[in-house]
Amino acid sequence: MHEWRSHTAEIELAIETDSEERVFAEAAAAFGELVALGDGGEPVQHDVTIDAADREARLVQWLEELIFLADTESFVPDSAQNVFIEGNTVIATLKGRRAPLEPLVKAATYHGLRFAHDNDVWRAQVVLDV
Amino acid sequence: MSELRRIDETTYEISAEARSDMRVPARLFADEEILAAIRLDHSLEQLQNVATLPGIVDAAIAMPDIHQGYGFPVGGLAATELPDGVVSPGGVGYDINCGVRLLALPVGVEELGERREAFVHAISRSVPAGAGKESGKRVDLEAVLRDGGRVVADRAEDVERTESQGRLEGADPASVSERARQRGAAQLGTMGSGNHFVEVQRVDEIFDPAAADAYGLQTGQVTVLVHSGSRGLGHQVCSDYVKTMDSVLARYGISLPDRQLSCAPASSPEGRAYLAAMAAAANFAWANRQEIANRVRRAVARVLGGEAESGTHQVYDVAHNVAKIEVHGGREVLVHRKGATRAFPAGSDEIPVAYSEVGQPVFIPGSMGTASYVLAGERGSMERSFGTTCHGAGRRLSRTAARKEVHGADLRRQLEQQGIVVRTASNKGLAEEAPFAYKDVEAVVGVVARAGLARRVARLVPIGVVKG
Repeated sequence: MHEWRSHTAEIELAIETDSEERVFAEAAAAFGELVALGDGGEPVQHDVTIDAADREARLVQWLEELIFLADTESFVPDSAQNVFIEGNTVIATLKGRRAPLEPLVKAATYHGLRFAHDNDVWRAQVVLDV
Repeated sequence: MSELRRIDETTYEISAEARSDMRVPARLFADEEILAAIRLDHSLEQLQNVATLPGIVDAAIAMPDIHQGYGFPVGGLAATELPDGVVSPGGVGYDINCGVRLLALPVGVEELGERREAFVHAISRSVPAGAGKESGKRVDLEAVLRDGGRVVADRAEDVERTESQGRLEGADPASVSERARQRGAAQLGTMGSGNHFVEVQRVDEIFDPAAADAYGLQTGQVTVLVHSGSRGLGHQVCSDYVKTMDSVLARYGISLPDRQLSCAPASSPEGRAYLAAMAAAANFAWANRQEIANRVRRAVARVLGGEAESGTHQVYDVAHNVAKIEVHGGREVLVHRKGATRAFPAGSDEIPVAYSEVGQPVFIPGSMGTASYVLAGERGSMERSFGTTCHGAGRRLSRTAARKEVHGADLRRQLEQQGIVVRTASNKGLAEEAPFAYKDVEAVVGVVARAGLARRVARLVPIGVVKG
């Protein structure tokens, strides 16, 4: 599950799941929800690979990939499938559509960034610049 | 925040001793009412974090429009001593050279008359928000990154009346990543969303006739204020270099209270590469606002005729998210302005000759339903804030809180009842930018005027708004 939390100028995404992989899937679905201006559009999928030195940075890079695809391809993600994590690398297939979207998100930031496993729950939070 | 003490009528300070990691004090320009609003978020804590940056001099400084951002607060500035003080991409922000440009039309609001709605509509058709592969102008990107606004300017006067003549020295297109180029390629001449806008206004009141005369402004005149930045290209440049600097903190022995403040010595390979890429992105932003201005002029021609188009002059263009090398107090410093505007006074050789006796124009956008201000830089800015003043009203409410207060469609009706024509791609976005989500711009401007950073020249009230 995810929720969008208030922040004076930006927006914060908070995620709770039962696996590290599902944090990435949930972030993709949340991002699609945020930028989509409606249903429909041409179905599209993208295979993505993310590399970063730590878990938190991998989440930032994952969101940066979504922002890049939104900006350059009008890509609205609906889901992330076959999410696979090995070492510092995340591999997944993004499924979604090319559709009108709100050019809202500038970047994912490291401010207040969290991504941790506590008591069988994976929790992450990340502030997006909008 | 009990450590905050009042220095004078408009200045508050948190001592450098308040935290063991602070290198300089945290200083704020405000009054009691504004301070009460500022205390509601974490912006002062963020200002203290800025005070920990290696090489920072004098103080981490905040303007009265300060509000919580990420890393740096919005409405903050930090000067680091060169050559080895740090440069922090987060101290400029993702929207590199976000800024404001003011155009003045040779017609009064009476003359515009019933053509006002057609004019706002023509602007909305000419200046897209810029989602995905939109209708941005295709240009020689290398030339834009290197030379800025002049590449797309039709008039030399526009270049002359732009901060740094619309071109930052040291720009190196090779330091801009392929991803950044892909994001920016189709976005030149587009507005973006969030708080970006093109606003049609009426000059409501003149406070300083000499300066208004120099700027070519008179009561009742129609003006157009453009607020936009470097679009996806600048966002990606910042992302690229925050990542780079995050990875080299240990190499330079830098420890920070917030990872978003990631930085490197300005003289280091990473610091030099960022400054070269930031300058290129700043140049892209100036070209973007220039192309938007070109499109606004074409809308003027379509609705008001060629004579009105040729008589539409640019007052000035200012950046409010940028880092610049300047000399203050006899030393060379890198001034990071994050939601803060350069405000050089009369006599500065950095401002157009036509304005040399009155000071640099500064534009302080209001919030759709409220007034915007034209200010002029004052000598106090050089003495107290590294030649800097505020940049806007400053957010008071989060976007979510704003949406809870009003529906976009209702706000649109309210604005139209006030005589403001509204064109927007998103009613949700309109609600997020509702006037009540911002601090009182009159109070913010009052503080910088009393602090001697800038003085009021003119007040502009909105008669039409185009939002992304």
